[in-house]
Amino acid sequence: MGSLFFLAGQSLRHRRGQTAVLVFGLAVPIYLVLAVNGLVLRYQDSLVRRAEATPLVAGGPGSRFDLVLHALYFRGRVPHPLKMADLAAMRETGYALPIPLHVRHTARRFPVVGTTLDYFAFRRLEVAVGGQLLQLGDCVLGAAAAAELRLGPGGRLPTDPDNLFDLAGSYPVKLLVRGVLSSAGTPDDRAVFVDLKTAWLLDGLCHGHADVTGTNTEAALLLARTATNVTAGAAVPEDTEVTPGNIASFHLHGDPADLPVSAVLPVAPDARSATLLRGRYQAPESTVQILAARGVVEELLGLVLRIKRFFDANALLVAVSTGLFLILVVLLSLRLRRAEMETLFRIGCARGFTVRLVGLELGLVASMALLVAGAGIAITFALAPAW
Amino acid sequence: MVRRIVILGWLVALLAGCGRVETRPEARPARGLPRVCATSYPLAFFAGRLAEGDAEVSFPAPGDQDPAFWRPSEAVIRQFQQADLILLNGADFEKWVNTTSLPMAPLVDTSVAFKSEWILFPEVITHSHGPQGAHSHGNIDFNTWLDPILAVRQMGVVAGALRRIAPADEAGLRRREGELRRDLIELDRELRELGPRLRGRPLLASHPVYGYLARRYQWDLASVHWEPDEPVTPAQWVAFDTLRAGHPGRLMIWEEAPLPAVAAGLAERGVRPVVFRTCGNRPPAGDYLAAMHENIRVLREAAAAGP
Repeated sequence: MGSLFFLAGQSLRHRRGQTAVLVFGLAVPIYLVLAVNGLVLRYQDSLVRRAEATPLVAGGPGSRFDLVLHALYFRGRVPHPLKMADLAAMRETGYALPIPLHVRHTARRFPVVGTTLDYFAFRRLEVAVGGQLLQLGDCVLGAAAAAELRLGPGGRLPTDPDNLFDLAGSYPVKLLVRGVLSSAGTPDDRAVFVDLKTAWLLDGLCHGHADVTGTNTEAALLLARTATNVTAGAAVPEDTEVTPGNIASFHLHGDPADLPVSAVLPVAPDARSATLLRGRYQAPESTVQILAARGVVEELLGLVLRIKRFFDANALLVAVSTGLFLILVVLLSLRLRRAEMETLFRIGCARGFTVRLVGLELGLVASMALLVAGAGIAITFALAPAW
Repeated sequence: MVRRIVILGWLVALLAGCGRVETRPEARPARGLPRVCATSYPLAFFAGRLAEGDAEVSFPAPGDQDPAFWRPSEAVIRQFQQADLILLNGADFEKWVNTTSLPMAPLVDTSVAFKSEWILFPEVITHSHGPQGAHSHGNIDFNTWLDPILAVRQMGVVAGALRRIAPADEAGLRRREGELRRDLIELDRELRELGPRLRGRPLLASHPVYGYLARRYQWDLASVHWEPDEPVTPAQWVAFDTLRAGHPGRLMIWEEAPLPAVAAGLAERGVRPVVFRTCGNRPPAGDYLAAMHENIRVLREAAAAGP
């Protein structure tokens, strides 16, 4: 057996170029088929796990796919945000703790997620460095966001302007980085978390400015003044950074019950409460839809898997053509090596020995191709994001 | 060749192990008694009486500051964040909450159930800019607990919240709730008894913080905006005299005793200052009930002595 390995190894080494082409030619289709299927399975598993960890998602009327992707992956915008009054009504049912999400802004292109501290407890997100959100204007960064932004506790992160052409609109705010979360292998790693009130600050619904109700306010800053109301213009300079000196001047405009949240994660203590809560919002006239996230994600995956079937058929054809190509190469190779085989026979090797030799050479080539493909798959999985 | 293949195999296995590992932190370790944090002294008093050792009740506001305008330090905010129950007075009492990150699950607003009964100050100047319309900063009278009937309702909310976080001694909690309700109703009875003595007599207040008492017990009350530890300016005296021309009160209710010069100025005008502590913060002596009984006693004596 040792001599057989020796001869097979020497033979492959003698035809290095040919061996390398064979190994590469086999490794590429193996890599493509296994890597694509592996990644699809991994993302599918990741999607399902995220959905399982978030049994219910609530939001305004609109596409259920948009709402679930928005609430679970902080992607896109929802057309009809809910109001805080909806959140309060949901809490009053006693069936669930509604955790608000307000995802509308970005900071250096990372989604800014406005929520309450309950979100971190719900997702079991722990602060790895620094501290948790403390007050208006604070943010905590997901692990990947912090690494890419190269920011840590004490750093300042400006939010992206909402509309460059709306001078009277909301201004970018310099967020203070309070802490960095441990990596969770979920979309939370690439998010910038702020308190819900900070999200409203970014909306322009909350802001800080000098007192304009006093009699010494510059007339140029005011549009109108009556005995009971002062109408300030857009010229009133608003604070773009929350500091210990100005935090007391920040205030909300409008009725707090009307403040927006883009989605809600209702956390029910048990399945019965979840069912009862969903029952409350089943009426056709309800302006709140509550979705079972897993069902929506599976529906979405069903659509994706239909496309995957095409790729599976493609992979099968590639495998067949590669196999045929390999057989052709082996047959041609044997024809070229007929003299070599004849020499082996004449020096006393049995016919079966030459067959085993060729078989072992092919086995070694296939093994090397598998190793190369495996290495490629491992590198791909290590580099690809986990979700 | 075989050895190289084995080494390559190890390398592949090693790289495959370099995938991301999902970390799941341990759940919060079990603690002792549930922790309750209150933003006002009356709520802390109610929670302390109701829990009676079944919960750790804290009221972190310093004794020398008004909890309605106090801003907690980072350490105190963290203390609130870690509480199992955060009792808010609501009605815009704890303004610092509007700019602080607190978890929603333990938050309990004890006055939101009677929001329609909150008293709004009509004289506050509002301002508007942006699409949300006019607003003002702090136009709600937040001293809801001064009305014993509203205090009973707030106490009921506290009891309900305690029932959720410390349900072990339900019978004891029900008994203590009944006792505290009786104590608060006793305050209401005393204030009602005081009613006839004050009826038809204009009353003055140094601050617009007694609105709930005035509404409940039909006091004819007019307020100015004076601080007990600040002198009264000549312009304020003029405004006061103008006010008294139409509202000739002889008793003026103060949160704390005014400065001697102010007391003298009032005496010149035949006005007697009476201290009626709002108890938003801890009273100098005794507890909430003792301070309220003392408030009523002082007011009763002043009403009996005056013309």
